[in-house]
Amino acid sequence: MSDFILTSEPPLAGFDRRFGDTVLKAPKDLAIVSIALPLGDETKAEKAIKTAFDIALPAMGTSDVTSDKSTTLMRLANDQAFVLFACPTPDAERQIAAKLKGAAYTTDQTDAWCALELSGPLARPALERICMVDLHPDSFAINAIARTVMEHMGAIVARTDADTYLLLSASSSAKSFAHAVELSLENVS
Amino acid sequence: MSQVNRIKGGLIDRSQTFSFQFNGTQMQGYAGDTLASALLANGQTLVGRSFKYHRPRGIFTAGSEEPNALVQLRSGAHQEPNTRATVAELFDGLTATSQNHRGSLKHDLMAITDLMSPFLSAGFYYKTFMWPKAFWEKLYEPAIRMSAGLGRLSMQEDPDSYDKGYLHCDLLVIGAGPAGIMAALTAGRSGARVILADEDFTPGGRLNGETLEIGDMSGQAWAAQAMAELASMDNVRLMSRTTVYGAYDHGTYGALERCTDHLASANGKPRQILWRIYSKRAVLTAGATERPIAFGNNDRPGIMLAGAVRTYVNRYGVTPGTRVAVFTNNDDGYRTAADLAAKGVTVAAVIDTRNQAPAQDIPGMRHIRGAGVVDTKGRHQLKSITLTDGQMIDCDALAVSGGWNPNVHLTCHQRGRPTWRDDLNAFVPGDTLPTGMAVAGAANGALTLASAMAEGRDAALAQLADLGLKASPIDLPRAEDEARDGAAVWHIPQSKKRAWLDLQNDVTVKDIKQSHQEGFRSVEHMKRYTTLGMATDQGKTANIPALAIMAECTGRTIPETGTTIFRPPYTPVPIGALGGRARGQEFRPTRLTPSHEWASANGATFVEVGNWMRAQWFARPGEKGWRDSVDREVLATRGSVGICDVTTLGKIDVQGRDAAAFLNKIYANGFAKLAVGRVRYGIMLREDGICYDDGTTARMGENHFVMTTTTANAVLVFRRMEFARQCLFPDMDVHLISTTDAWAQFAVAGPNARKLLEKIVDADSQDMSNEGFPFMACGEVTVCGGTPARLFRISFSGELAYEIAVPARYGNSMMGALMEAGREFGATPYGTEALGVMRIEKGHAAGNELDGRITAHNLGMGRMVSKAKDCIGNTLSQRPEMNRDDAVKLVGFRPVDRAIPLIAGAHLINKGDAVNMANDQGWLSSVAYSPSLGHSIALGFIKSGDTRMGEIVRAVSPVHDKEMEVEIVSAHFIDPEGSRLRV
Amino acid sequence: MIINHPLLGPRDAAEFIYLGDAALIDRPDWQAEDAAEQFHAYGYLRDNVAGPMQELWYHEQGDRSWLVVTRDTLTHEITNVELARDVARNRGRSV
Repeated sequence: MSDFILTSEPPLAGFDRRFGDTVLKAPKDLAIVSIALPLGDETKAEKAIKTAFDIALPAMGTSDVTSDKSTTLMRLANDQAFVLFACPTPDAERQIAAKLKGAAYTTDQTDAWCALELSGPLARPALERICMVDLHPDSFAINAIARTVMEHMGAIVARTDADTYLLLSASSSAKSFAHAVELSLENVS
Repeated sequence: MSQVNRIKGGLIDRSQTFSFQFNGTQMQGYAGDTLASALLANGQTLVGRSFKYHRPRGIFTAGSEEPNALVQLRSGAHQEPNTRATVAELFDGLTATSQNHRGSLKHDLMAITDLMSPFLSAGFYYKTFMWPKAFWEKLYEPAIRMSAGLGRLSMQEDPDSYDKGYLHCDLLVIGAGPAGIMAALTAGRSGARVILADEDFTPGGRLNGETLEIGDMSGQAWAAQAMAELASMDNVRLMSRTTVYGAYDHGTYGALERCTDHLASANGKPRQILWRIYSKRAVLTAGATERPIAFGNNDRPGIMLAGAVRTYVNRYGVTPGTRVAVFTNNDDGYRTAADLAAKGVTVAAVIDTRNQAPAQDIPGMRHIRGAGVVDTKGRHQLKSITLTDGQMIDCDALAVSGGWNPNVHLTCHQRGRPTWRDDLNAFVPGDTLPTGMAVAGAANGALTLASAMAEGRDAALAQLADLGLKASPIDLPRAEDEARDGAAVWHIPQSKKRAWLDLQNDVTVKDIKQSHQEGFRSVEHMKRYTTLGMATDQGKTANIPALAIMAECTGRTIPETGTTIFRPPYTPVPIGALGGRARGQEFRPTRLTPSHEWASANGATFVEVGNWMRAQWFARPGEKGWRDSVDREVLATRGSVGICDVTTLGKIDVQGRDAAAFLNKIYANGFAKLAVGRVRYGIMLREDGICYDDGTTARMGENHFVMTTTTANAVLVFRRMEFARQCLFPDMDVHLISTTDAWAQFAVAGPNARKLLEKIVDADSQDMSNEGFPFMACGEVTVCGGTPARLFRISFSGELAYEIAVPARYGNSMMGALMEAGREFGATPYGTEALGVMRIEKGHAAGNELDGRITAHNLGMGRMVSKAKDCIGNTLSQRPEMNRDDAVKLVGFRPVDRAIPLIAGAHLINKGDAVNMANDQGWLSSVAYSPSLGHSIALGFIKSGDTRMGEIVRAVSPVHDKEMEVEIVSAHFIDPEGSRLRV
Repeated sequence: MIINHPLLGPRDAAEFIYLGDAALIDRPDWQAEDAAEQFHAYGYLRDNVAGPMQELWYHEQGDRSWLVVTRDTLTHEITNVELARDVARNRGRSV
């Protein structure tokens, strides 16, 4: 047993704000692991993904959720996807690596990102102020994702439900990012 | 004052009376008024003084093209100069003041400049203020600035907030007049995603100012009904008070929405929003602008464009005078006379330049044909006009119509050139339009109502068809095609008095002629010489008449003479709106290190490094200045152990079967043979052989490396590596992902570093002995009872040192744990200053040295550049000139007089040589006070430095007017053998 | 400007970083006899194109792909967008 105990303090832990019926909050214990598909062995890697999660690697610009709703796969690039799942312990990458059995390269991204869930009628009007991607339901269906930039910060926006978006941005600028989304909500409410 | 000029009718809401102030006088108006219509209603005809001659001026138009009626709106920090009264919506409590006069508006002391006008003609400044040069800034400029000009800034910080936003649509319709509404209805009913933007607060365009009928209702009622239908459609977004000010590439438009300008208070919401609209297609239905005719003293208050008079009469229920004359060169002017007469306003006369029967019969109208106005009287308000035949007509207002110019501005924003139409005496949009744009209605030269509506509908249909969207033609309601014939009369040559073309810049017909005489033959030269077409209105009413005068002078046609290019913005956009949220703290994102909170609580002073906030030093009570803190931090680290958050260094995870081969290409030195569990220092070159970045890279597994970059280059190095991966070596299996923010990384440096870390690193996860984890080792460990961590035995300070990384969420806690574990050793947190001092003492190059000019040869690392493999920069780094023996070399310097502080940037000159560039030997790149040595030290570059140890040269800083003698020494001031690193 | 990304569809140019002439893909062979001259040309000589030009753009705020964009420098018209990796392979680059 060590004499010293480390406590986990993600930058937006406990963040929860309401604007009427619209809620902006930080999901708890969201782990993110990136998967890179080995060049030439993409098929093998895709099979391993299918075996591990029981869903196929989604197409570019989309995500998919496992049948038990526990895990989301986001396709961010031709050879790269993120796995998102709830995991309070700092071993997310090991868990995914074990599932994929060496068929893809994995990197822990949990602490590289901060996450905010934005849900409610003001979600889209608020994002209109900072997000240049077209989020109209006809163009951005449920499970659509886009990696883009908001207020000079790299960001990923994912539509998880009719009026619900998951936003990811760099963890070091988490406070600036949360402020940008909050200010948008204030401006449209 | 009472609303003496208010007449019946209009779209104003007489149940809502608003009180407002103009120059301190209390006045009243109604909801639906603009400031201009309310001022006119109150009989306030004189509203400002002109830019140059301080001439009394009134309201000239009823729209955004207004050149005259510029006022300062609101007060205190909210004060906004140069606001056009014609588009400022009235609200209860509005305050406005007139501009550009000393003393009262009525008795402007500067009005004397008007008497000096013979000396102040075109090019006056260029000719007069040439000499003496000493007077330019001290006398001429302040004097001109005081006498000429527009409104005044509040000189306070803008208290309003602004926002930006992004919108997408299939069809953007610009302008909600009859053509625009038809286009929007057509597209809206088809289900397409439509945005209809209009600069006015009441959509309808000219329909609001006219008595035209559509179907069985008034044009205004038709517009209101159509807008209600559009508002009920989910696929249509209506944006009133929104000016589409620019057409940009690929269907992108800039638009400014004025959200709260019509309210007494913004209530904390953004005042304006700058929208970027991404349209698949657009229809420009921006209407047309009426132009004046130039004649003597045509700038007096009470002289107004004829269409504007109709707008005031029909939309605002205001007449500009009690006896109004009309001066026209076309049929449209008669509408003004008819509308005035219908409201019971006396029409003094209709003067037509054409010698023909009246275009419209108006009962009791005095019609004067084949005549022109040559002069006017009335200093603060028009009293009479004088015609070409000498007769004088008493009137207190004059409506002038010189024909209409289609608003082609947005069609020109991407080099499009308008083309001339003789039948309209006007420019219409040319063949080259911005991508995806169509033009319809008056903006396209369809100046009559029925034709405009048909064009609006058809343009939308064509655009939707082009997009592959189905749409059916909607019914065209019955509307008339008004009489529009006109003559090409631009000015009345018989006028002896000054005839004004550009009211905003005080440019006359004579000025244009004079500039032509003086050789300014190109329109662009004329514009710059006379200043015609500049400032807030950009010559919307002046450009075409001026062009016509130029054409006359040269004997060419107007299209041969050319036209000036319109650029964005269509109307002024406040700087605040362009800045949006990006000001103060929100100017850019702030990146915080994982231990930021700990550092804040422990006396850190922070420094901005890019977007990062880094602890610069940690002050302790009793320390008198930053040097005290930094010296203590250095000595404590070298004496026992110090801890520094180094998370900001870029971290790139490199994985793949070809990861090692890839790094061999990226780094100048070899990485293929680096053993797993080992770290190597690497140097990256640009393709031209200059050093780009450096850092350490650890091999965590056969196919897994963790690279570090400098803080500043983290993003750039990643970008270059992706370029190499995808563009240069596309078949390598290598994958990159940034983990900079993922890991909180701390340098633990000093003789007690190992002892400290032995308390943190779980004993069963790593043998911490020198043999078990030697210098340049790396590995995955656990800390504090199982938390995964990465340990690197690397040193920037030159001491026994490690860097330990934990998942960022534990970073703040880890800093506390390290300090707690180090308490028995007196562990000291150190900031970027101490870090810098220690790296200079150790002779490590950093950003000051890798300045974009320096090669590995200059750094004394020439042999690191492998000649046995290909790597970026290898070939060009071998150029002979870059490998000269007498090239500058990185060495250390110390002052001969140890008490003297060295100066960074000082140049090095050999003793006895004159101080000039020819004798330049090199420079000092990094300077610090070394607390370890007790004197100032420097790193720098000097020719053949490696062979000149012990030589004394001069360090000269002409900017500081200082020079000192320095001795060339090894760059490794501390532990040159590196023995401390390996214990 | 809008760049029609081959995998993601139209995206604002603000998400991209511009590099320059796509000739930068054609990095010379370091073992060629005249390698120094070839690298000199590669590093320093560029055509100043007035008209359609192949350029490298990097989708930094996106999927991190490098693209070869054919853009008319006079009108900004974009006529073709390809993944630079495909272009590089087609031009014979490998490892």
